[in-house]
Amino acid sequence: MIRIEHLKKEYFNTTPLKDVSVEIHDGDVISVIGPSGTGKSTLLRCINLLEKPTEGHIWIDDIEITDPKCDLEKVRQKMGMVFQSFNLFGHLTVIENVMLAPMDLLSKSKQEAYDTGMELLRMVGLADKALNYPDELSGGQKQRIAIARTLAMDPDIILLDEPTSALDPTMVGEVQAVIRDLAKTGKTMMIVTHEMNFARAISNRVFFMDEGGICEDGSPEQVFEHPQMEKTRRFVRKLKVLELNIDNRDYDFPGMAGEVVRYCRRNQIPYKTANWLSLAFEELVHQILVKKLENPKIQTVIEYSEADEQVQMTVHYNGEAWDATKEGHEMSLSILQKAAKEITWQRAGGSNQVKLLIRA
Amino acid sequence: MEKNIVSNKENPARMTAEKERVSTRLITEEEEVKPKHRNIRRRRAATAIIAFLLFLLLLPVSGVIPAVPAISAVQTAAADEKTPPPGVYDTLDALADKTIGIETGSSFDELVSKRLPNAKKEYYNSKVDLVNALIGNKIDAFVADEPVIKSTMKAREEITYVPEYLDSFAFGLVFPKNEKGEELRNEFNEFLMQFKADGRMEALEAEWFGDDESDRQIPEVPAGEKGTLKMATAAQYDPFQYVRDGQVVGYDIDMVAQFCIQNGYGLEIADMNFDGVLPSVQTGKCDFAASGITITPERAESVLFSDPNFSGGTVAAVLRKESTDGKKGFWAGIAESFNKTFIRENRWQLFVNGLVVTLIITTLSILLGTILGFVVFMLCRRGNPIALGATRFCSSLVQGMPMVVLLMILYYIVFGKVAISGMMVSVIGFTLTFGSSVYSLLKMGVGAVDNGQYEAAFALGYSDRKTFFRIILPQGLPHVISAYKGEIVGLIKATAIVGYIAVTDLTKMGDIVRSRTYDAFFPLIAMTIIYFALEAFFIFLVNRIAARFDPKRRSPQQVLKGVEIHDPN
Repeated sequence: MIRIEHLKKEYFNTTPLKDVSVEIHDGDVISVIGPSGTGKSTLLRCINLLEKPTEGHIWIDDIEITDPKCDLEKVRQKMGMVFQSFNLFGHLTVIENVMLAPMDLLSKSKQEAYDTGMELLRMVGLADKALNYPDELSGGQKQRIAIARTLAMDPDIILLDEPTSALDPTMVGEVQAVIRDLAKTGKTMMIVTHEMNFARAISNRVFFMDEGGICEDGSPEQVFEHPQMEKTRRFVRKLKVLELNIDNRDYDFPGMAGEVVRYCRRNQIPYKTANWLSLAFEELVHQILVKKLENPKIQTVIEYSEADEQVQMTVHYNGEAWDATKEGHEMSLSILQKAAKEITWQRAGGSNQVKLLIRA
Repeated sequence: MEKNIVSNKENPARMTAEKERVSTRLITEEEEVKPKHRNIRRRRAATAIIAFLLFLLLLPVSGVIPAVPAISAVQTAAADEKTPPPGVYDTLDALADKTIGIETGSSFDELVSKRLPNAKKEYYNSKVDLVNALIGNKIDAFVADEPVIKSTMKAREEITYVPEYLDSFAFGLVFPKNEKGEELRNEFNEFLMQFKADGRMEALEAEWFGDDESDRQIPEVPAGEKGTLKMATAAQYDPFQYVRDGQVVGYDIDMVAQFCIQNGYGLEIADMNFDGVLPSVQTGKCDFAASGITITPERAESVLFSDPNFSGGTVAAVLRKESTDGKKGFWAGIAESFNKTFIRENRWQLFVNGLVVTLIITTLSILLGTILGFVVFMLCRRGNPIALGATRFCSSLVQGMPMVVLLMILYYIVFGKVAISGMMVSVIGFTLTFGSSVYSLLKMGVGAVDNGQYEAAFALGYSDRKTFFRIILPQGLPHVISAYKGEIVGLIKATAIVGYIAVTDLTKMGDIVRSRTYDAFFPLIAMTIIYFALEAFFIFLVNRIAARFDPKRRSPQQVLKGVEIHDPN
């Protein structure tokens, strides 16, 4: 069991971890997700003290590793780590990479280390590369060796720091397969990853980290299906968001239309969809709402989900309960109908809300 | 593929395009193309070597290096003849605005300034250099003492001197300016008076300024009951002091030996460069010096002089008027030169002795320097600010100083009052410089190892020490092994200056031989070849060791030594 209390890591110019308190149980397989630069790797590296925390305490089982008197080397021997950049020992063959630590640190005999080593290499499918040097292997093979090297110490906890991020997309699969097998062995694992589907498939617990803290902590279903927070939802659905606000009649429509076009280009939204989106925005906001409302307060939120390639436009506006997609110039209404697959209106919290799912 | 090669040969214009295509193909194909490049390279290397050898052979012919001692048919002037054969210049006035060579540190500097104020002065380190510079027309004349030039004329017939004296001079022995020095000086002066009075002086002059080398014998000095005297000398000053059969002999030496025998002293001779003679007496490294030192008031301020043990005139050596070149065949000249350099007086032994000294200094300095550099690096590795600061200071001090200066400082200042041989000081000096190079190399090599290697080792549970020795060092060393070899070559070359502190290494021995033969070619070539061989030997050694310890060069059998392999199938 790992217990973390008020962990803080501060550099002179940034604070990647602000205040993290969490408990990790034996056998947990935890995926840590979140945008870049939000302290995911720092959290992982603090757990085996590769980064020294600025404040806070960490207990592994009942040993406080943040205590200066703690025998850190002993604790680390029971806690493996797999790095984004593999960090295989370049001067040793593959089998020696796997044999070295058990021989040096657990005083295993060479024979014993070799036998376990070969077994592990067979497990990761690389027994035939035993006598090769790391620089003769592909990235995926290197990472599998790195996993075997970690397992050779028979650790209770395995930390994986973006194990597939440095890999060619064609090699991600082979490494994920090995990690998937590993997750079934009942070892406590913590894996920082950007692969949502993979995270969802292997873990029983997901941390969503943002702004130096754990924002959401729950089962994959909770975090991926019913996120508590808007930023979690946007992140797990890989949403790209554009917000446009209008609060008087003399607003810069061409400027806003340009922003929509730029947003589409930036996120590589297919040309047709982008076209429908621009049309829907112009008709609904410029032609219908601004003309009708005397004192317009309109907020438009456009979301593009990379996962299912869908654009959704949500328009909040003031005034009485009124469905803007039902009344107005006939031409505008018909364009809206064409541009959207689905249109819903609802009255919520004293304002109107229209949701359009743009045609692909 | 075979077809391709054939077509390449037939159509060289297509070669480049073809090669590009080939290089993108399978590796096995590329290997077939390679030997051709290798042949071209080999041929080029051979051409370069042949060109270099031709160049070396042509040097003596073209006269750049006056290798062939021209034994002339011209009647050799008898040694006792009063007037020397006529020279290119025959009065001092003719030399007024010419270039005059002077031995560095000699009193002739002042003399030339006084007598020939308009002459251009050039400084050389030894008389042999002066002789060769004169013959090579780099200078018009050089200044030396009459008996010395007479002796030189026996070896090099191209030389004569202007009969007019620049100055008359007196040589004296030099003693330190302290109580002990004064006592010894007085003792010697008393001896000298007797020596002159009872005719022994005359016999000595006849012996050393005469023609017959076989007359010149030095009496054996037994270990004296009053202790051993250490004498400084620069034994390149025939006939006052020079090396024959590996032994320092000469007019001064003979006289000093007789003095020691009579007064019950033992004698130990330290042969060094002339520049080092006076400092070694001043600092107490030596008890006195006899090195044909002219008595001048300026020198008398810092040391004590004995009464003159020789008086004579200073003259300007110039080239002879009639040409004496090329009377002997080229090959015969080479053979003569070879004979003079190696065979006569068993001079090859000097080269062997010098080689041994150079080898000892080099080997010890490499070993100790490597250990020193490593130990210092280990102390500084963790960034201890005091160790780091001290190391930086010392290594910039040692590396920023010319090696000669460092050695002289060590010999005359740091160990000035300690009885320590020049060889030990050389080893210390070179250990320091080599150590600081090794330190920098280690820093560079270890710095080149990726930080991820540390992290991976720490994450596995390695301690800092174990990480360094098991993971980091084996990966850092291969980065710097070639630079290390370069440092070794540099060290071997740098040892050539230990002559400054009375160590007779290979270069010094070469100088000694040159000072006897006045022939630059063979001693220099022999030294070059020996140095090359020495460098090659050390590089070979390092390569062998590096190959042994390079983890990447092990065979699979070595990797899996002691492991029984069970085939799962």
